[in-house]
Amino acid sequence: MNRSSVPSTVERAVVSPPRVRLWKGLLALRPARYHSLARAERISLWSAIVLLLFVLIAPGLAPHGTTQLVAAPLSPPSLSHLFGTDDQGRELLARILYGMRSSVLSAVVVIGSGVLIGGAIGLVAGIAGGIVDSLLMRLTDLFLALPGPLLVLAIVAALGPSLQHTLIGVCIVWWPWYARVVRGQARATASRPHVEAARLAGLGRMRVALRHVLPSSFGPVIVTASLDVGNVILLLASLSFLGLGSPDPAAELGSMTAHGLTYLFTNWNVAVLPAAAVFILVFVANFAGDAIRDLIEA
Amino acid sequence: MTRLVTGRLVAMVGVLLALTFVVYLVDAVIPANPVAASLGAGASHAQIIAREHQLGYDKPFYAQYWLFLGRLIHGNLGASLRTHNTVTSDLSNFAPATIELALLSGVLIAVLSLILGVWSASGIRGANLIRVLMTSLASAPTFFLGIVLILIFYSSLHLLPASGRTAGGQATGFVMIEDFFSGNLSGWFGALRHAIMPAVVIAVGPAVAIGRVLRGSLLEVMREDHVRTARSKGLSEFAVMLHHGLRNAATPVLAMAGLQMGLVLTGVIVVETVFAWPGLGLYASSALQYSDFPAIVGVTLVLGIAYVVINAAVDILQLVADPRLRDQ
Repeated sequence: MNRSSVPSTVERAVVSPPRVRLWKGLLALRPARYHSLARAERISLWSAIVLLLFVLIAPGLAPHGTTQLVAAPLSPPSLSHLFGTDDQGRELLARILYGMRSSVLSAVVVIGSGVLIGGAIGLVAGIAGGIVDSLLMRLTDLFLALPGPLLVLAIVAALGPSLQHTLIGVCIVWWPWYARVVRGQARATASRPHVEAARLAGLGRMRVALRHVLPSSFGPVIVTASLDVGNVILLLASLSFLGLGSPDPAAELGSMTAHGLTYLFTNWNVAVLPAAAVFILVFVANFAGDAIRDLIEA
Repeated sequence: MTRLVTGRLVAMVGVLLALTFVVYLVDAVIPANPVAASLGAGASHAQIIAREHQLGYDKPFYAQYWLFLGRLIHGNLGASLRTHNTVTSDLSNFAPATIELALLSGVLIAVLSLILGVWSASGIRGANLIRVLMTSLASAPTFFLGIVLILIFYSSLHLLPASGRTAGGQATGFVMIEDFFSGNLSGWFGALRHAIMPAVVIAVGPAVAIGRVLRGSLLEVMREDHVRTARSKGLSEFAVMLHHGLRNAATPVLAMAGLQMGLVLTGVIVVETVFAWPGLGLYASSALQYSDFPAIVGVTLVLGIAYVVINAAVDILQLVADPRLRDQ
């Protein structure tokens, strides 16, 4: 293409779209829509934000650590130790707060890796088309057809139980949905006029893919991811419950529950409270996920 | 139709091969050397090498995968490190309890999802409340539900047993089915009392997920022209939904049911652990405690194959239920 020394307005707009578009696409949240949300949805959105902040900050405020012995083993809940102590005399409240934080952070890691791996595969498949597309999508379908959680079980058992290995195992099976979502969007966007124009303007493939095709999938990916948080937390908690998480001194909600089962009929709090913490996290995440979907899709 | 079904079955075989390959890969990365372990500590280096050669462990990995498949087809999964029985015999001992539990959960899932879906789709009282209740139940981890039920129905109300399964079913291992057909109704009732709490806990999550899809699908179908015609004939809203809504709403529901199978199968492992239900799940979770790898591989394969086969069956069922899919 023969370029004049001074690019025209049209050419400028095509070659370098306004920067602002990227973060707008990334957020994909249009604040104007916030007012069209039902009150219940606003409440769930705000409780998710509050809970997230609480979960991130609270462990730092807890007066005791997760391994510190603070009172007699299996002390019932009291004013000085709100949730009581576990079978070794460690404070349950502190351990649950740390466990909640590690649950949330682990979910972020899994979903982040799903978005990255799935996004890359979906983007390549959607843009390349043809044989590359069919090959990558067959691979994706194959992964979707396999029983993911069961394979994670076998993978983690082989690697040896620890939170890190659990995360690796879940990351291996957690990307196919994201690949599908991104591939669908990329495929639809790749044939749109603005992408054609960007290509004709002589932009590199990488730039066309990242700046002109990819942003269209931010919205659907955020919706999928926010509806996914609850599932990931549940799966990780179940794996930890089965003993695939980090060994004992680590504060994980699933393994704390499994451990507390021994004392279920004498000290119910040791088993029930960590399990209830998982429930609260997933409950808020699911309602907030619904609200985010309505915010972006409606 | 025949072509579509054949295609689906071929795809199923492909997925099964992939499943065995992944399990084989996992099997191959375990750090422990199975040959050295089987010969004991006193074996010399030459003995180990000779045995490796004999068992094919010195061959390239694709040849080893071929051997692995061969062993699998002959039902040879090695011996459990914990029970010292062959894994195949362990699996066939523990499978009936799990199948029985899964069948009961399947019935509960069908009934619950139908009630939840139809109720929340119809505009009748409490529909919104049902929706909130559904999301709440779907958010509860299976072990939380299990523990709460045990505390309520066993510990406080003394209504149901907390764990285990009644003896009986000597011939097949299917306690409930055997008691029922031999006319031992009190035995059957006892077995049902043991099974009902774990079955409910397994069923709740999938029932809610399927119920939500059913609700969405029903709401869509109920806006269509043929439904308006049915209404204008003067049918009651309930009759319209039953005869004109449900069958047309079935396709996405079946798809969701297939997807939920994965959750049911992992749910089984957790729930059997909570309720000490002596099935494949409890076997798997004890195997995990002891790093009993042959047993873990065995359970993964059996449950994985069940998952793949059931999903193929669900796909074929969709073709049967919805003639529109056959034209594609």
